[in-house]
Amino acid sequence: MLHIDNLTKVYRRGVRANDGITLEAAAGEVLGLLGHNGAGKTTLLGQVVGLVRPTGGRITLLGRDPVAEPAWARSVCSFQPQAQAPLTGVTTRQAIEIVGRIRGGGHRAVRRRTAELLTALDIEEWADRPGERLSGGVRRLTAFCMAIVEPGGLVMLDEPTNDVDPVRRRLLWEQVRSLAADGRAVVLVTHNIAEAERAIDRVVVLAGGRVAASGTPATLAAGREMSLELTLPADPPLPAWALRTGRKGDRLTVTVAGEDAHRAVAWAQSLTARFSLNPVSLEDVYLALSDDPEVDRDAALVP
Amino acid sequence: MRHWFRSYLLLLRWSAIRLRYLLPLVLIIQIFLSVGIVIGFAFLLPQVDPATARYLSTGAPTLGLITIGMVMAPQLVATAKTEGTFAYNQTLPVPRTAVLGADVTVWLVVGAPGLILGLLVAALRFDFTLRVGWAAAPAMLLVALTATTIGFAIAYAATPPVTNLVTQLIVFIALMFSPINFPADRLPGWLQAIHRVLPFEYMADAVRDTLTSPPHGIAARPFLVLAAWCAAGLAVTLRVMTRRD
Repeated sequence: MLHIDNLTKVYRRGVRANDGITLEAAAGEVLGLLGHNGAGKTTLLGQVVGLVRPTGGRITLLGRDPVAEPAWARSVCSFQPQAQAPLTGVTTRQAIEIVGRIRGGGHRAVRRRTAELLTALDIEEWADRPGERLSGGVRRLTAFCMAIVEPGGLVMLDEPTNDVDPVRRRLLWEQVRSLAADGRAVVLVTHNIAEAERAIDRVVVLAGGRVAASGTPATLAAGREMSLELTLPADPPLPAWALRTGRKGDRLTVTVAGEDAHRAVAWAQSLTARFSLNPVSLEDVYLALSDDPEVDRDAALVP
Repeated sequence: MRHWFRSYLLLLRWSAIRLRYLLPLVLIIQIFLSVGIVIGFAFLLPQVDPATARYLSTGAPTLGLITIGMVMAPQLVATAKTEGTFAYNQTLPVPRTAVLGADVTVWLVVGAPGLILGLLVAALRFDFTLRVGWAAAPAMLLVALTATTIGFAIAYAATPPVTNLVTQLIVFIALMFSPINFPADRLPGWLQAIHRVLPFEYMADAVRDTLTSPPHGIAARPFLVLAAWCAAGLAVTLRVMTRRD
């Protein structure tokens, strides 16, 4: 669906926002794009949808070049920008329906789909309220609906869960999954890593405009550290293989290397019956990657 | 072409929904402006002779069109830029010319009722019979279009705060220092020279000539100059709308 090859963007003031990025997103797949503010995520999306002109490299979308054909790119790619959608004076329902029609949907089909989305995201209550009287979360959900009411083959969402409450975030992730189930490629920028882990098939971590790591959440975590949690009131003498420790109340957390897992379990069993050993979460991996100054050169993780 | 027209109509509907609460406000401002010029300016003058009445009553609708196109439209575009409407519209799968077309149409429609009311006020106040020629409607359309495209060019090319300042400046220049409500020969030579380039005088001429059908006929020059300004405004606006960083 989407192939990006060695994409580089240097802005006029010399900021190198994207520096040789290579990635791809396949139909039926949700690709999570993670990275700090300023890592180059929004610039990357802007180039795919024809808002920003690449300095170098190549983008291929459905076998065509979106840089040469930006109008065509916008017709096959549904984009939810990071900025709030303009809703002043327009109700949630009107905004979703008009954008659905603009994206080429038929009158009845769009009306039906809008009603379905409003129900699916549990925002019917605000369906007929003008934008200026909506909370930030409902505005963001409306913008999400505007992007997916008549989705193209590629759906790009730039931080869709900002300001959204936890219950509706879950509903939003379900919609993201159903877009992929319908055979669309979804590129998702988010800082909500812990939650997104459930919705994402593959992850690309950007740092300083480069791909720092990529793979499935499981492969990124594989071979990495694990986290041993024990309920112990006092600190025991620590074995040599313990990498780091932390304590919250009576819970002691010991970070261990993957290959030391069996030793860790034996050690924990000798101390208490109340312990657990978990693979690190995507968020932990992300934080570890971001802390590492050598992150750009962590080639082992880049396939 | 079908895609263009469909996009245009849908964008028009979106703008209409968004701006409908503004329409009464715009109407009120235009009425005050027209009444202010026709009645208020007359207080400045000891006696209103037919020539002055002709200038004031045709100057009022011209200033109305300038206010809508070169002040209110760009200020709304500046707000839209601040709110992100401009950036959002750029992500939609619609031709950029359709976005511009819909925006211009909205402002032409918004300006129409105030224009007619202004003319009515003038006719009542001066007991003045207008001899409206066939060219009046196209002339006013051209003036409105030119004012709006220049207004858009300013708003798209400049930052929102600069746009707001420039539009304030335009109001003062148009109202006080432009030969719209009075003949150009009352201005000092250097200011006359400037107005031979700026569009204000030509806007006033086009409206005045077509509304009063003078014996010497309607001059072509204002129309040509306005068409050039209109084209320049469109070119700048489209350039900014289609620019990629």
